[in-house]
Formats: sequence, structure tokens, C-alpha cells
Amino acid sequence: RVSSDGKPPKFQPPPKPVIIDRKTQKEERRFLSPEFIPPRGRTDPLKYYIERKDMIQRRKVFNIPEFYVGSVLAVTTADPYASDKSKRFVGICIQRGGKGLGATFVLRNVIEDQGVEICYELYSPRIQAIEVLKLEKRLDENLMYLRDALPEYSTFDVNMKPVPRMDHEEIPVNKLQVRMKPKPWSKRWERPKYNIKGIKFELPEHKMKAAQKWSQPWLEFDMLREYDTSKIEAKIRKELSEELEK
Amino acid sequence: MMPIWTKSGEKHAVTLLKVQDCHVLRYVSKEESGGKTAKLLVGGKNVSPFSKPESAHEIFKEAGVPRKQKVTTFNVTDDAIIKPGTPLYAAHFRPGQFVDVTAKTIGKGFQGVMKRWGFKGQPASHGQTKTHRRPGAISTNQAAKVYRGKKMPGKMGNIYRTSFGLKVWRINTKHDIIYVNGSVPGHTNCLVKVRDSKLPTYKDCNKNPPFPTFFADGDEELPEDLFDEEIFQFTDPSVTFA
Repeated sequence: RVSSDGKPPKFQPPPKPVIIDRKTQKEERRFLSPEFIPPRGRTDPLKYYIERKDMIQRRKVFNIPEFYVGSVLAVTTADPYASDKSKRFVGICIQRGGKGLGATFVLRNVIEDQGVEICYELYSPRIQAIEVLKLEKRLDENLMYLRDALPEYSTFDVNMKPVPRMDHEEIPVNKLQVRMKPKPWSKRWERPKYNIKGIKFELPEHKMKAAQKWSQPWLEFDMLREYDTSKIEAKIRKELSEELEK
Repeated sequence: MMPIWTKSGEKHAVTLLKVQDCHVLRYVSKEESGGKTAKLLVGGKNVSPFSKPESAHEIFKEAGVPRKQKVTTFNVTDDAIIKPGTPLYAAHFRPGQFVDVTAKTIGKGFQGVMKRWGFKGQPASHGQTKTHRRPGAISTNQAAKVYRGKKMPGKMGNIYRTSFGLKVWRINTKHDIIYVNGSVPGHTNCLVKVRDSKLPTYKDCNKNPPFPTFFADGDEELPEDLFDEEIFQFTDPSVTFA
């Protein structure tokens, strides 16, 4: 370096190390169960606050694991009419609905060639255990089309062992494209309103083009339909982490 | 509305009612009012005093209370009279009590006879000319007139209706919230009048209620949440049938 006035060059302190805190980054990305996010409406936020207190209370006593639509779960419920007084059901989660304490999830399985779907309430006191046997996501948020798919895609072994998984791994997305039974289906899944990516449509080209007639391309630009939940989510995450640490 | 579970695992739907700034405004004696019992005027929910003339503020000034959105009357026996200006809280009710809830129903505007009175209308096809949702015949030949009170189209909703015999499951004393069984007339965040039930089956169900009302500056220290005996509380482990 060229020194000015013959004096030694001015001391430049070394650059400060940039610390990337992976732990806080991971906490920001951590899972927030969808039933905590309040729907858009004119209800007093106090009602949602009180409901959340009850939900947190239940979660402290009973562990509700993280799961998504497309993961395989095993649920044991208390049943007064069974011999062991408890019932265990294994199935793939096809839908998560409801907000607050009334949140539900539907499990589907095919048992002895009969498709069975059971809708459980997440916060019901009759549920004794929820185990996640296989944690994964699918291409869609709603797998109701499995009712019209070939039964092999909905069959899961009742005595399946839980698939081991490391904590820091990202949740795998199963890009499976499901094959369907011949039409008629319960709903016209090829129409753009359902926006399904997980079906391998084997319909002729002209039928797929005719289905696009019902597309509503202006919907994604409709500003009144936008519901930005980022701030609400951040507040709820903070509240949750504070309460669960107590 | 929220779900609530009992200790045997049954689910009930529950409406949340908030007691917001309720004060007793005036005492009207039996002779003054001309009725069978004394009356107490109660007002709820504070509102801006600038939208009404000074003459309307007299009652509130006497009681020393900001202007209220709604003023209702309660028929009260002589031993339950309260001094005007006392605040009323949700702890006035206890879990296990039965309650009547009155409110204005959701207004539906001018509605036809099928929605308003549940008439069956006429078939959609098989030769019907311009007649699918009409009332049809409105009287007989012999009567030679239409009776008073005949069900016809008109404005539906926006009238006071009461749901009787609703059980109080839970009371939150910190936020003044009453959890009442079932549904209640009115839209979300509407004003509602809650009264002890007048049904004969629930005449003796109030055991030791706070009488005449729950006073906040009194000696009683209530816990934040008061539950009914049958409610499943989320601090307990899951329900099992032994």
C-alpha cells in the first residue's frame, strides 16, 4: 500500500464477522398450526385471544404434533363401547378445517376394500394420542380427490411403523401424481377452480381445454380478496412461544 | 360461538356474551311505574355523548355515568333494589344458572312468503305460469274477507326475540364474559339483554346467587374463571371411559 507523508498507513480494523444465527432463523420458519390464524371478519379479537388461551392450555397437557395435509397419522380415541375402551385409526390426512377450538382434520384409509374417512376434532378431550407416522406434504392443500383415485393411493398399513426423521430436515414434499378411476367423479377435478396439481389427468386434450372455459384469471389480481396474515402470525407466534415456555 | 366439552366427552356449542360497562341508571318504584313490581333502569355500552341533545343526558347525569347506547328495564322485587350508579359485572351470574337472552334478530328486509313464513310455493315446471314462490289462496269464499294477521310478504327480522332456558356454562371475571349454551338471537357484536330464566322448570335452580348483585369493591375474591361442575377443563388429562 502507498503510504501518505511517509507515515505508516492508518490502522484499518479487521471487518466484523457476520454471524448468521441459524437458531432464530429456524424459529421464524417454525410451524404455526393453521387453526391459530383468525379468519377475516368483524368479530372482536378478544374472542380469538380467549380461545387461544384455551387452546394453549390443552396443548400444555396433551401434545398435538406438527402435521400437514398428506401426512399419515395414527389417532387413539376413547370409546365407551369398545372392549379396550379405546380405538386406534391410521390414515392419511386429506383435509384440515375449522379455526380455533373447533379445528378438525379428516383421516382416510381403505380397510378391507372399503374406503373409510373419519373427521376428528383436534381439541376434543376424547382423543388420547396423536402420532405422526410419516410427516410429509403433498402438492395440494386438500386431497379430497383421493376418493376418486385408485384405492392403492389411499391404503396404508394399520400396523405401519413410524418413519424416522431428523429434526433439522426440511419437510419433504411428495410430488406424487395420482391416477384416477374412470369418470364420473364426485367433483370435476380437472376444472381450474380446484387448482389440483397432484393428479395425472389421462383425459383427452379437448376435454382439458373445455375445462379451462371455467377459469377465472382475474381472481389472483382481486385486491379485496387479499388477506395478509404475516403481522397477525408474528404476534401469535410470539404469544405462543411465551405461553408454552411458562 | 365456541365448542365446549363435558366430562363425559359430549360437545355443546356455546355463545360468548361480554358485559361491557353496565350501570344501574334509575330506580322506579311500583306506584310510579304502575306495574306489579319495582323497576330498575339499566344501561350498557358507553357511547359518545355528542350525538344526542342535552335533554337526553338527564338520566345519565343523575347516575353519574357516561351516555349508554341502550337502556332496558328489569322488573325487580323490593329486596333486590340497587343504588343507581353501581356497575354490574358478569359475576352477577354463576355457572349452572339458567338464563333468558333477548335481542333484535338479524334484519332480512322485505321478504317473500316462502322465506318469511315457510310456505311451500308452487312446482317449478308442469305448466305453472309465472307462479313459483307466491302464497296462492289467501282466504275462503264464505269468509268474504281476509283475516287480520294473514301471513303475507313483508319486512322480516329486526324485531326483539328471546331464547329461553339457556344454561350458563362458564364465567370469565377478568374480561366479564358469560358462556351461554346454544345460540342467541342477533348478529355478532349486537346488544343483548340477559335475565334470569322465567321458565317454571328452572325456578329453583339458582342456589346462592350473588344477591342483589356482585359488588367489585366487596370482600369476595373470585378466581379468573368460574366453571360448571360438568365442564371438561383443559388442565385435566384426556377423558377415558374406565
